[in-house]
Amino acid sequence: MVELINEKGLRIDGRGVDELRPLRIEVGVLKNADGSSYIEMGKNKIVAAVYGPKEVHPKHLALPDRSVLRCRYHMAPFSVDVRKPPQPSRREIEISKVIREALEPALILEEYPRTAINIYLEVLQADGGSRCAGITASAVALADAGISMRDMVVACAAGKVAGQVVIDLDDTEDKEGDADLPIAIMPNLNQVTLLQLDGIMAPEEFEKAFNMAVSACHRIYEVQRGALIDKYFGKGEAGEE
Amino acid sequence: MMSAVKRSMVVERLRKDQMVELLSKEKRLDNRGLLDFRDIIIETGVIERASGSAKVQVGNTQVIAGVKIETGEPFPDTPDKGLLVVNAEVLPLASAYAEPGPPDEDAIELARVVDRGIRESKMIDLSKLVLIPGRKVHAVFVDVNVLNVDGNLFDATSYATVASIATAKMPKLSVDQNGQIKRTEEIIPLPIKSIPISVTLARIGDVLLVDPTSEEEAVMDARITLVFDEEDNVCAGQKGQPGTLNFDQVKLAANIAKVKAREVRKILLEGITKDAKG
Amino acid sequence: MSEVKRKYVTPGELIATGNYRPISNVIKVNDNFYAIKIGLAEISHEGIRVIPLSGPYIPKVDDLVIGKVVDYSAFSWEVDINSCFFAYLPAQSVFGRNFSPDRESLPERFSIGDLIYAKVVTYDRTRNPILSISGHGLGRVPKGEMIKIGPAKVPRLIGKKGSMIKTIESATNCRLIIGQNGIILIVGPPDGVLLATQAIRMVESEAHLASLMKDIQSLLSGSREV
Repeated sequence: MVELINEKGLRIDGRGVDELRPLRIEVGVLKNADGSSYIEMGKNKIVAAVYGPKEVHPKHLALPDRSVLRCRYHMAPFSVDVRKPPQPSRREIEISKVIREALEPALILEEYPRTAINIYLEVLQADGGSRCAGITASAVALADAGISMRDMVVACAAGKVAGQVVIDLDDTEDKEGDADLPIAIMPNLNQVTLLQLDGIMAPEEFEKAFNMAVSACHRIYEVQRGALIDKYFGKGEAGEE
Repeated sequence: MMSAVKRSMVVERLRKDQMVELLSKEKRLDNRGLLDFRDIIIETGVIERASGSAKVQVGNTQVIAGVKIETGEPFPDTPDKGLLVVNAEVLPLASAYAEPGPPDEDAIELARVVDRGIRESKMIDLSKLVLIPGRKVHAVFVDVNVLNVDGNLFDATSYATVASIATAKMPKLSVDQNGQIKRTEEIIPLPIKSIPISVTLARIGDVLLVDPTSEEEAVMDARITLVFDEEDNVCAGQKGQPGTLNFDQVKLAANIAKVKAREVRKILLEGITKDAKG
Repeated sequence: MSEVKRKYVTPGELIATGNYRPISNVIKVNDNFYAIKIGLAEISHEGIRVIPLSGPYIPKVDDLVIGKVVDYSAFSWEVDINSCFFAYLPAQSVFGRNFSPDRESLPERFSIGDLIYAKVVTYDRTRNPILSISGHGLGRVPKGEMIKIGPAKVPRLIGKKGSMIKTIESATNCRLIIGQNGIILIVGPPDGVLLATQAIRMVESEAHLASLMKDIQSLLSGSREV
């Protein structure tokens, strides 16, 4: 049985309870997509692509006053320890839905009636928190595609491991821990767009975990912003003559 | 699923005319010669959780392959051989024309042709993957995902498959007297006997060209893929598209591909051996 | 002369607070102005706007676009204008009111793959854009080099009162046919086309920089000295 938190308060990978895993975001990694990004969050490696707004096929699925948002979260067969067959599982279908619902409030879909905006996430390697990393990457890809957004969306999980509240659980902590609470927020509007709980927590633990996750989200938002600024504004002074 | 009519890229007449004019001078839209490959970039060991992995770029075509090695029962007609399964998917990420869903006939053809090249060249000595004959063998799964389409998926997928297999590592398993399978401390590579190299050509009018882009594929009349081993033996081939090749063109294509395979082999071997992750 | 304040913004960021007029790509909540796209925010006495650096082409009536014929029916051509929707060019607007499908053959006039320079005559949120080629210079495009840039960068390529495009045209001896939808055709001598292509790519990558015109001028004059 692995010691999830040792006597110095350090986790299996040496992190403190409030520490994020190493995080890296790259913007515009795929040439064909309208917008794209790549994220590494701990050992998670995920590619996000946005296609759209574009015409909806079949036409009867189009909405007259707004765009239809579609999201596909898929794990590559080699992304997990035991090879996963390529067909979408029930878990992937549920995650696709919650990710879509986490991103939708941030998008100004009324600006693109009768179209569809498609978000594709491919998890190349998974290590706990892949849906959160996927949401974070999707928001960057949507901004890269130039889709009008009220705000970015950023996600992080908190949880309870060995009786302590921690953030950004990896796969082992997720499996062996007591609770996993992924959340997504719009960081400027301070609205929650995703919240799931798997496990058991006392009310004060829930509140503490929620607060820690929100604060972690704001830290991740700075990395999102930085990645977008790097790609779009790399050098020089802003302006027009 | 029959899919003879798919929504596909329409090449601008202007671009097509430019292409044909350049081809008559043995040049292409991206300034390549007829027999030039685009830049081939090979990175291995990109997915630590997989037994082996490779990300390959051929120009803008981007592909990632992962190897998972498991144990299972052999096929009844080959009780003394391990299993090899090659699967390919063109992800909806990869192109505006790729739809989510199970692999269509193009993706299945892609996987099967790449598989043929690996199998017929005997890249992996499947007889060395047996643990208990007739009962337990190693099963090597290679899954390839196309991340960005810009032509020549056959070669890019093949290079990623080969590079990920060649750099794959697994814990050595041993069988004790009671027929129990145990993991040892030793980490070993797959038993590799050959490195097959795939070369794809397209025919546009009377001209044969190597490594077509998406635009060239949208205009091409026929395509041919040939796979070679180190001794210049051809171990797999596939002609694609409804157009034809005349006999001279087939022979010319084979000669061109043989020479290009030697060049690409150097690039692939360099990409494989620079994986220092062990 | 009141000054214009500029800053780089990403979606959701607060640009400014105050009594301003929202111009474009901003959301006003009470007296706070937020960006809805990644781009360059400009705050002046006229109001607040964000010049986006990315985004799809959304057609506007009177826009001139370069479109690619991708299909046709008995009554119209379907044209890809690099937007969320395909556009239609009605056969009637090309052949006249007395058009009849038995008499005229659509593919003989424009076939699949042809590029046309057309004007958007109708576009509302309930149907696809309708194009017309009646007008000076419209119709099938001349032979030239085709380039695609992000539609958000087109205004910068045209420049204030056409200053950028005129600069490039005179230095390269080429004519630039620019579609609002991000498709550009360069017509001219081969070395001019090459230089114009480099200039256009530079506009695309430096659209947000104050130094763009200067950099373009160095690029264009630097080549002449060679």
